[in-house]
Amino acid sequence: MRTPLVLLVLIALAALVGPLLLPWPYDVIDWGAVRAPAFSPGHLLGTDAVGRDLLARALVGTRVTLAVAGAAASVALLIGVGWGAVAGWRGGRVDEAMMRIVDALYPLPFMFVVILLMALFGRSILLVFLGIGAVEWLTMARVVRGQVMGLRERPFVLAAEAAGASPLAIVRGHVLPNLAGVAIAYLLLTVPQVVMVESFLSFLGLGVQEPLTSLGILVKEGADDMDVAPAALLLPGGLLVAILICLTLAGERLRDRLAA
Amino acid sequence: MPGRPGNASRGFPGLFRARGAGRGRDPPDRRAAMHALLLRRLLTALPTLAAVVILSFVLMRVAPGGPFDGERALDPATRAALAKAYGLDLPLHEQVWRYLGRLAHGDFGPSLVYRDFSVTDLVAQGLPVSLTLGGLALLLALLLGIAAGAGAAIRPGSRRDAAIMLAATLLTVLPTFVTGPLLVLVFGMRLGWLPVSGWGGGDAAHLALPVLALALPVAGAIAKLTRAGLAGALAQDHVRTARARGLAPARLILRHALRPALVPVASYVGPAAAGLLTGAVVIETLFALPGLGRYFVQGALNRDYPLVLAVVTLYAALIILFNLLADLVYGWLDPRMRG
Repeated sequence: MRTPLVLLVLIALAALVGPLLLPWPYDVIDWGAVRAPAFSPGHLLGTDAVGRDLLARALVGTRVTLAVAGAAASVALLIGVGWGAVAGWRGGRVDEAMMRIVDALYPLPFMFVVILLMALFGRSILLVFLGIGAVEWLTMARVVRGQVMGLRERPFVLAAEAAGASPLAIVRGHVLPNLAGVAIAYLLLTVPQVVMVESFLSFLGLGVQEPLTSLGILVKEGADDMDVAPAALLLPGGLLVAILICLTLAGERLRDRLAA
Repeated sequence: MPGRPGNASRGFPGLFRARGAGRGRDPPDRRAAMHALLLRRLLTALPTLAAVVILSFVLMRVAPGGPFDGERALDPATRAALAKAYGLDLPLHEQVWRYLGRLAHGDFGPSLVYRDFSVTDLVAQGLPVSLTLGGLALLLALLLGIAAGAGAAIRPGSRRDAAIMLAATLLTVLPTFVTGPLLVLVFGMRLGWLPVSGWGGGDAAHLALPVLALALPVAGAIAKLTRAGLAGALAQDHVRTARARGLAPARLILRHALRPALVPVASYVGPAAAGLLTGAVVIETLFALPGLGRYFVQGALNRDYPLVLAVVTLYAALIILFNLLADLVYGWLDPRMRG
């Protein structure tokens, strides 16, 4: 579990600090160096088709992608944990009704609704993560509900209840701390989903908008230009895949360890 | 497999004749349960479809902008006449009702942007392309995924197992919009073996790259599911018995373990169909294929309401259909569920 997480932290650090150390900002055109090859003076990995520094763009794109993914996954986490905890704790009819809603939403082609949402209402970054977050909470709700139902019958919860603690205090003091591990594991697994959706939307031109950039936009730009300059595709594509695989491996291992 | 009490009393030879002994004599309550499940799925399909249509309809009409906001501003009278002609001046709920009523008759209405075409025409052009693409990709993903999963499960814990599973994880996280351009770069541009874009009448050369790009992530997921299912199935008693009789591992998997192991794969076919359709939007854009996905994005940007609604409706119907199909396959794979 260590290696993927360490790699992730390194990528995030590079994305955060890296652009500050580079001589050229990500959105400034160097007219003297259009389509510069790698290791040109001032441009470590060369420039794109209009003379913007590739490395700086890739790092800023990573930053934006990670930020959007983190925010969207947090939205999903909040809705999912809230929904699942209430359903699992209350049980009975409430649980039945709430989980029916989740079951009904599960097979809907949400991706299309999100695409629609983005295409129709201007493309603000706020909407991007609200939209994605509102879609990706379902699995989290199911998992959390199952956990809460199990915890509900545990002696320490029953004891707290018998001692007269309020439900809110029990949930906060006893249930949520025991949920944390599983919630983190599924959060790690939700983030790659969200990264994928964000890049997908940006690739179609529906997500993050220029001049701001994200890995999805960079992959799209690189794909348009790959015949002449494959680095413009390989760099953001490689970063994206590295982020996705690290998150997935870390999440799966944490989940399996908690299940064992 | 539990639930066959008759076999144990027959003694040792009966154990070997037991394969398939219960077939065709399933307990009626299980068959009824399967029927009930299918019936419930069918009954919920229509409301789900209607919900998707209504949600998309309302979303589109609440959004700013309209289909007649062209380069040149129309004078108010023309605009009002156009709105009236297409029924856009009615209250929203009446518009939804009218639309659902027409939809029930199979009429998708006129396209607001491609004025010379009805939406049915446009969809009739795009649907075969998308279906060919998605169907071939699903088939390829099943073949690749099951073969790789079985290859990994033959010797669990071996180096090959670890390598295949790592590759499968890598494939599941590789987005189609990264693999697509990479495949084009390598096979289309550098090696020059295959055309880089276009439909070309749907011949194999034009289909190869888009289908492969679309199939790879699904193949990875299927490989993982097959591997997990086989690990469980190989630990079961009847498989252990067959192993004790000295069956070769490959034969063991094919004859005894694969069918029960494919149950989770079958239940994944529904979500996989949704994933393929979503992926197809990118693949069709990337390879300039005249499928539904391109109409969807273009239509939403142009505010071509009927066109977008038609595509959403078709997508939702396809996903529901695939979920139903998955239930049927599920029943075929697990004889206890058969009806």
